[in-house]
Amino acid sequence: MATIEILATGMGLSIQDQGRSGWRRFGVPPGGAMDRYAAQAANRLLGNSKDAPVLEILMQGAQLRVLEDTWVALAGADLGSSIRPWTACRVQAGTILTFPVNRSGLWAYLAVLGGIESERWFGSASVDTRNGLGRRLECGDYLSAVASGAEIPYTGVSRRVLRSDLQPEMANANEFELLPGPQFEQFTEAARAELVGFGWTVAAQSDRTGYRLSGPVLEVPNSILSEPVLPGSLQIPGNGQPIVTMIDGPTVGGYAKIAILQEADLDHMAQCRPGTELKFRWKI
Amino acid sequence: MLNMPTNLYDLVRIREYGERGYLLEQLSDEARVAIERATTLQPPEAFAECVLGAKNVLLLFQRPVTPRLVENWLRSLTAELQGEQQEQPCIEVPVVYDGADLEEVSARTGLSVDRVIELHTAPVYRVRMIGFTPGFPYLDGLDQRLHLDRKAAPLSRIEPGTVAIGGSHAGIYSVASPGGWYRLGRTELSLFQPEQACNNVTQWRSIFSFAAGDSVKFVAL
Repeated sequence: MATIEILATGMGLSIQDQGRSGWRRFGVPPGGAMDRYAAQAANRLLGNSKDAPVLEILMQGAQLRVLEDTWVALAGADLGSSIRPWTACRVQAGTILTFPVNRSGLWAYLAVLGGIESERWFGSASVDTRNGLGRRLECGDYLSAVASGAEIPYTGVSRRVLRSDLQPEMANANEFELLPGPQFEQFTEAARAELVGFGWTVAAQSDRTGYRLSGPVLEVPNSILSEPVLPGSLQIPGNGQPIVTMIDGPTVGGYAKIAILQEADLDHMAQCRPGTELKFRWKI
Repeated sequence: MLNMPTNLYDLVRIREYGERGYLLEQLSDEARVAIERATTLQPPEAFAECVLGAKNVLLLFQRPVTPRLVENWLRSLTAELQGEQQEQPCIEVPVVYDGADLEEVSARTGLSVDRVIELHTAPVYRVRMIGFTPGFPYLDGLDQRLHLDRKAAPLSRIEPGTVAIGGSHAGIYSVASPGGWYRLGRTELSLFQPEQACNNVTQWRSIFSFAAGDSVKFVAL
C-alpha cells in the first residue's frame, strides 16, 4: 500500500540515501543525500537504519498527501512545513504536507517508517538523473514505506524531537576551514591569500554536481592532466571563480584544486543557498 | 606487455588529499594500472575506493589512515604483483563516421575527412582511465596529427555513444553530458547499462564496456 502521494514537486523531489561506494573507478560518483547528516537524523527519529531511503525536497513548493495513518520525520532545511524540522510526528490519512517557503537551508529530508521502498543502483537508492540512475519524482507518483500499517511504533506519543544540541545551525554567516588541495603549491601566494581574505557568494548556477562561488578573480595555474576529484574540492577553472565539487560531481577532472573542505562540513555547504555569503580560512 | 617495475615504491610520491585520501604520484603507466588491480586483489586495510587519474592514482580509505600504512602496502605489492599481468582483450567499436565536427576537424588539421577517419581507425588504443561520467573511456594512442585543444565553449549536451577526440585522447561519451571534445561519429555500442547496475563489482563487465588497461579499436561502418 502506498504511504504518500505526490501532489506537487515544487523545485524538485528525489529519493536519496547515503550514496554508493566502490564504483568511482568506473566513473560513478558517490551520490546520495546532499546533506547526509540531515537524512540520517530524519531516519534516526523514526528508528530507521541511517542509510534508509528518504525523500529529498529541494526548496519550496512541494505538496504531499499522506495516504495512511503513520509516522514521518523531517530534517534539514526549514521549508515552512507544519512539521518542524528535526522532529517526527504522527500523521493521519488525508493529511496534506506542504512546504511553502524557504526559511533556511536548501534541502529537507522526509523519512517514513522503515524507509521508502525503492529500486537500487550499485547498492544505493540514490537517484542520479544525469547518469541515468532513476528519475526525478513527478506529480502523481506514489511512495511506499517499507514498514506500514500494524508496525507503527511509539504508541502513546505523538511527537519526537531531535536533541537540540544535535540540530545544526543554518545561519547565514558561514565560515569554513580549508585543507590544502592537491595543487595548492601551484597557486600563487596571492591566490591562496585571496581565497581566505575575501568573502564569496554562492552563485545561482549551482546544482548537485557543484556549487559555483563568485568573488575576486583568482590567478589560475596552468591546466592539469585529468585526475581524481573528491567532493568538497575547490576547483578553480579558467575564469578564476571556485567551484565546490558536490556529491554528484564528476569522478575526474582537469581543473586545479586549491583546497578541499573537511568532510563533515560538506552537509553545511550543501545547505548554503544561492546568494549566501561564505568565508574561508586555512586550517593550520 | 605490462611489466611491473621491480621497485615500484621508489617511484611513488604520496600526497594527502582530503582527510581520508592519498594521491600516488610520479607513477609509470604500468604501475598506475597495476596499483588499481592490486586494490581489487589485495586491498590495503580500511580501503574504500581507487580512482585512476591520467598520471596518478587516488586511494580513498574508509577512515583516516597514516601514510605509513600506504607505504607498507605498496612495499608489500612489488613482489606479489609480478606475473599477475595479463594481456587484455581488444574490444572492437563499430563507428558510423557522420559526426557534426568532422568538417571542423578536417579544417583545423588540414587533413581530408577521409584521412581523419583513416587516422582515427588505425591505432589500437589503450584505456587510460574511466570517468568523468560512468563508463567514459579516456583512450591513449590518438595520432598526433589529430591532437586538438578542446573547444573553448563546450556544448551543453553531447549524446551517449558519440565518438570524439579532445587533446591527446580519443573517447566515447557514455551518458548525455556537456562536453568540449570534437564529435567524429557515433557507435551503437552501449558503454553503460544502468539497469544492470548491481552492487557486485565482479559483474562489472555486464554494466560497463571498458575498464582501464583494455585495448580498443575503432572500425568504420
